[in-house]
Amino acid sequence: MAGVCGIFAFDEIWDVSRFVYYQMLAVQSRGQESFGIAITDLDKVHSISKTGTVQETLASDEISGLKGSVGVGGVSTRAMNGYVSDDIAIFFDGSVTITEKEAQVLREALGTMDEVEAVRKFQDSISGAYSMVILTKDKLIAARDKCGVKPLVIGGVGFDLAVVASETSALDVIGAELSRDIEPGEIVIIDKNYIDEIKDPSPRKPAQCIFEYVYMSRIDSRINGYDIHEIRKKIGVILAKNNPVDADVVIGVPETAIPFAMAYANESGIPIDLGFMRTGKHLRTAIRPSQMERIRTAVRGKRVVLIDDSVVRGTTMRNIVNLLRKRGAKEVHVRIGSPKLVAACPFGTEVPTTDELIAVDNTDDEIARIIDADTFGYLDLKQLKEALGSENFCTGCMSKTYPEVD
Amino acid sequence: MKFMIVGSGAREHAIADNAIRCGYEVYAASDIRNPGLLELSKELFVLDILNGDAVVEAVEKVQPDVVFIGSEESLFAGVSDAVREAGFFVIGASKKAADIEKSKGFMRGLMEKYGLYGRLRFKTFANIEEATRYIDEYAGSVAIKPTRQAGGKGVKVIADLQAYLKDEKSVAKKRHVSDIVDQNLSQDLEDPILIEERVEGVEFTLQCFTDGTHIIPLKIVEDHPHAFVEDIGPETGGMGAISGVDNNLPFLTKRDYDTSFEIVEKVVCAIEKEIGEPYFGVLSGQFMLTEKWGPTVIEFYSRLGDPETVNIMPQLENFDEIVRGMMKKNVEGISASFKKKATAVKIVAPKGYPNNRDMGKGHEIRIDQKALEKTGAKLYFGSVYEKDGKLYTGGSRGIEIFAEAESVEAASDMVEAAALCITSDWKLFHRKDIGTKALLKKRHEQADLARDIFRYREERGLIGKSIDWIPGIGKIET
Repeated sequence: MAGVCGIFAFDEIWDVSRFVYYQMLAVQSRGQESFGIAITDLDKVHSISKTGTVQETLASDEISGLKGSVGVGGVSTRAMNGYVSDDIAIFFDGSVTITEKEAQVLREALGTMDEVEAVRKFQDSISGAYSMVILTKDKLIAARDKCGVKPLVIGGVGFDLAVVASETSALDVIGAELSRDIEPGEIVIIDKNYIDEIKDPSPRKPAQCIFEYVYMSRIDSRINGYDIHEIRKKIGVILAKNNPVDADVVIGVPETAIPFAMAYANESGIPIDLGFMRTGKHLRTAIRPSQMERIRTAVRGKRVVLIDDSVVRGTTMRNIVNLLRKRGAKEVHVRIGSPKLVAACPFGTEVPTTDELIAVDNTDDEIARIIDADTFGYLDLKQLKEALGSENFCTGCMSKTYPEVD
Repeated sequence: MKFMIVGSGAREHAIADNAIRCGYEVYAASDIRNPGLLELSKELFVLDILNGDAVVEAVEKVQPDVVFIGSEESLFAGVSDAVREAGFFVIGASKKAADIEKSKGFMRGLMEKYGLYGRLRFKTFANIEEATRYIDEYAGSVAIKPTRQAGGKGVKVIADLQAYLKDEKSVAKKRHVSDIVDQNLSQDLEDPILIEERVEGVEFTLQCFTDGTHIIPLKIVEDHPHAFVEDIGPETGGMGAISGVDNNLPFLTKRDYDTSFEIVEKVVCAIEKEIGEPYFGVLSGQFMLTEKWGPTVIEFYSRLGDPETVNIMPQLENFDEIVRGMMKKNVEGISASFKKKATAVKIVAPKGYPNNRDMGKGHEIRIDQKALEKTGAKLYFGSVYEKDGKLYTGGSRGIEIFAEAESVEAASDMVEAAALCITSDWKLFHRKDIGTKALLKKRHEQADLARDIFRYREERGLIGKSIDWIPGIGKIET
């Protein structure tokens, strides 16, 4: 998983590195293992790449040391989702591989042909899903694969900045206005003297990663025309309708599952309560462990509906159920706001391998027994699509059917 | 009737076009051999349109019944006064009256002095140091502009809402203030830098003819100041504009229209009080629909807008009646009548506009006339000149494409078809998003939001007010 962002200032009075830094913080939820930031002063690309989170490892004077009016950033769950040199920087979210070889294809093409053709030639040299930002000495280029698996949005700030990012959270954080989603297969080239938007001449059926809506994207983001919070509330309603429980309290596992739980409670009429407080950073448990403390009084003597966003191996969920029982919960009914994960993701999202997925060969009843819950229920894929009102998704990790993205 | 137009762009081309339809014999004085004016005028005088003597010389040769001054810079240079003194009838504000456009300091000061609706807090500065000190003391959201009208150049609107980006924004503001002075954008004005409170919202223009007492409002038009698609990029003189089927825009209410008109009326009166002579010519209000006032004044034009004229003139059905009313110095009872169709205008500019105009100069452009005719759109020439039968870019906004239809979206589609008929070996660009359903929807949402907050403020008696509480000082109401 990864997040990308970029800023183009049309006027050199702007130093954009701190803007890019805050953008990276806003997409940090998409990957915390490594990051890169690259800024051009229109003569040379200056960059910093590190492992760790942006906030913990990038010092303020390092940010202000990067001078220039155009820049890009990337965060990732892997060692590095990108390439940096002193004339080109590329960051992507997806499954492509970009080494010196691919970067050289782009470098040579940009030097010899029309820039749109050059970007296309580079795209032909890579294989996989991607939303990417490319920084050259004087341009910012954003591109999305033909199916638009990963999200990418564009916006602006006043008369000064053009802004791109994986999610709108990285627009809001710097006060940018969302213009729209960059379309699948589209290339956007931002230059001091023009913005070119080149649409895919032979568009395909989009295949947006459906995992974004239930898990990946931030609650405050809007991607592919969907408000994430709205979608999660719709899912909560669908869960309540299709997976009802006679219970006393609804508890959501923070942060992602809170909207599911709110809507489940509103729809079912069962009151919602706060069951957990996190200690440490609000980062994804599937990506990085963090401690979760229980609030003592919320569940004592009560029949609990516990709502989470996904179950991967079942170990975390088993611990949570156990904790609730130890705090005096009479019953624990687990409801999951996403469909079963049954297969790996070839497009760069770290869904565990098949033999690590609890849902692959266990029924709901068996899962309930394993995690020590009274009952267990998933949202099914059909219901998720119903919430989204479309069929334009990659549902590979839930259905084992994958789109052709190259 | 002999009608002489002064100016060089698409605005003048569109005015001349209507004059021809009125049956006038058209003459033109321009900086360049504008192909549109060249085609329509009986004689085109290429001269310095800022030079009153040169214009008077041409006028004396022609002996026109009406001289219509389209260009603001000509008004600022006193060309209207010179032609009047030579004994000819002129539609165009006097040099003194044109200060309402030339100097935003004069305009803002006038609105303040007469307590006019739609005003904004502002301050002008004599030098970089003063402005820099102010930026240090008041690190808020501001618009920083050259005090003088500079064709959209040098305007920065900086929202300062994220405390963590304050330092970067402060640096940018100060660098911009220096740029305004270094580039001499305010020319001879005493206080070259203007900083005013930042407002946000949908913009629109209400253009009016006035004899100084009576006012003839034209259709409201919405211009698009950002250079590039998606409302992104530097400020320009305007990259295209739209107007509705009726006199109002689809996203404005009757009240928005009426308020805007009343502001123009009051400003006409205030100018007369201030300078001691009636305002005679065209006065256009460039407004923004804000939560503070509803219609809020961004600037005034002492002439018709560009591109806004190109939305208006092809549809204005009684230009002759208006011109004759103006000749009698009395337009009482005259109202403008328009074709009941929506319009879209988009401007094709060469790469380089607006920030690197030199690179966009002197490139040949070709027009496929046959294909163009099929689109139903019409071209008006701006910064394009004719040389040896060929057309070349002048570096600024080149060709304005006009179309009218049952809806803005349909007109926009016609313009897009026409844009394909204009080609060059140099890169040309225009805003494909103007007049699209998506952008109109966005405008509706922006306008609704501004009106909602405005209504809330109105109910509490807060219109036009700002209340700040400063620690140690207390409440400050302005």
